[in-house]
Amino acid sequence: MNYENPHIPEGINTSEEHPLKNFFILLIGSVVLIVTLSVVLAVSGGWLASKIPFSAENEIAGMYNVDEDVDDVNAPELTAYLQSLTDQISQAQNLPDEMKITAHYIDSDTVNAFATIGGHVFLFRGLLEKLPNENTLVTLLSHEIAHVKYRHPIKSLGSGILVGIAISTVTGSTNSDLLGSAGLLSSLKFGRDMEQQSDEEAMITLQALYGHLNGGTELFKIFQNMREEMDIDEPVELFSTHPLDEDRIANFTQVAKDKGWLEAGNVTPLPDFFEAALASSEYSDYDID
Amino acid sequence: MYELVVTLILISLGYFFGRRAERKHYKSIIAREKIMNSLPAMASRMPPQDGNYDQMLVSGSVVIANDYFKMFVAGLRNLFGGQMRSYETLLDRARREAVLRMKEKAKSLGAEMVFNVKYESSNISGQTKKKPPIIEVHAYGTALRKI
Repeated sequence: MNYENPHIPEGINTSEEHPLKNFFILLIGSVVLIVTLSVVLAVSGGWLASKIPFSAENEIAGMYNVDEDVDDVNAPELTAYLQSLTDQISQAQNLPDEMKITAHYIDSDTVNAFATIGGHVFLFRGLLEKLPNENTLVTLLSHEIAHVKYRHPIKSLGSGILVGIAISTVTGSTNSDLLGSAGLLSSLKFGRDMEQQSDEEAMITLQALYGHLNGGTELFKIFQNMREEMDIDEPVELFSTHPLDEDRIANFTQVAKDKGWLEAGNVTPLPDFFEAALASSEYSDYDID
Repeated sequence: MYELVVTLILISLGYFFGRRAERKHYKSIIAREKIMNSLPAMASRMPPQDGNYDQMLVSGSVVIANDYFKMFVAGLRNLFGGQMRSYETLLDRARREAVLRMKEKAKSLGAEMVFNVKYESSNISGQTKKKPPIIEVHAYGTALRKI
């Protein structure tokens, strides 16, 4: 009997197809899939969340004790002033009665402010210190209050949860974060749209309260200057949660032009105690120093 | 953004080096298979009945690591299903290399052929997620040397 191993032609157990062809087809297919999925889920999640009544949102927010993390008690005068401006703005923005906005002060160097579910608006000392006048403070507060007015925090939460689940499922099965990033990037667009909507509401409020938009763009210049000082480049818009500072400033000018609103006008100074209150509350928890 | 750049660099590194290694390996496999054809390896359990033979267990095993490019393509393939072509060459190379090593062992023992050849393959990268699969293929059989 003869035993032999005949020569078997190549390409039976493997494919001759170029691997890059396979790669590009799969990559394009999956990016299209995840982007579509993220957009659909972000929109539907946001839509569903906007159906949650504000009272239910308050209940969700009530699970978290806000007072523990803010420094309102250390600066009572300041907090009262911020709250009175907040109430004026809430009225100017025609918020429904049940939508009560609470302003909070946080003693931290962070240059930021944010609004979250339950109508809580948080302002950091780092940003308050940089505000040149009341008009800019009102722009900041109006912007954050507008987020609550348009239900942005709960919408972001709703879409964030849905998109997050989808992304973790996809990245779990592909072992790659790249597709997750594609999904996240496509949902950032909604965040930028929300910022723009809030900016525009802030302009309307400024016009209603002061009769001009002066002081509004100062807010974005603070962020611009800060980046310059710290030598940080603004992220590319596609990768950013906010529109570019320049575009936000330009948008102010554009809206003023379109509506015939003035960009110049007398600005109201901040009250005398403002600076002192910020300085005295600073590190008041750490008196040992 | 940096994550994107790093991933792209890893994919292209994986593609160029993985493909180069694969080409080189196939070249060597094809050349050595031609030489080793003189020593047949059979799956049959029935040894030749025409004489007396010494019997020896021979084995050959090989471990081949995946590259980032293949892993990435396979990950995408996971979403849609279908043939995982990027891993086919990996396993094909491993099986053929393992048989070649087994035959080389048999040849060094002076055997004429190997019978009852079997394969084992296993993933040795562990259960951790995100680790590229590293496969081991082990071929073994009974080498026959004429007395």
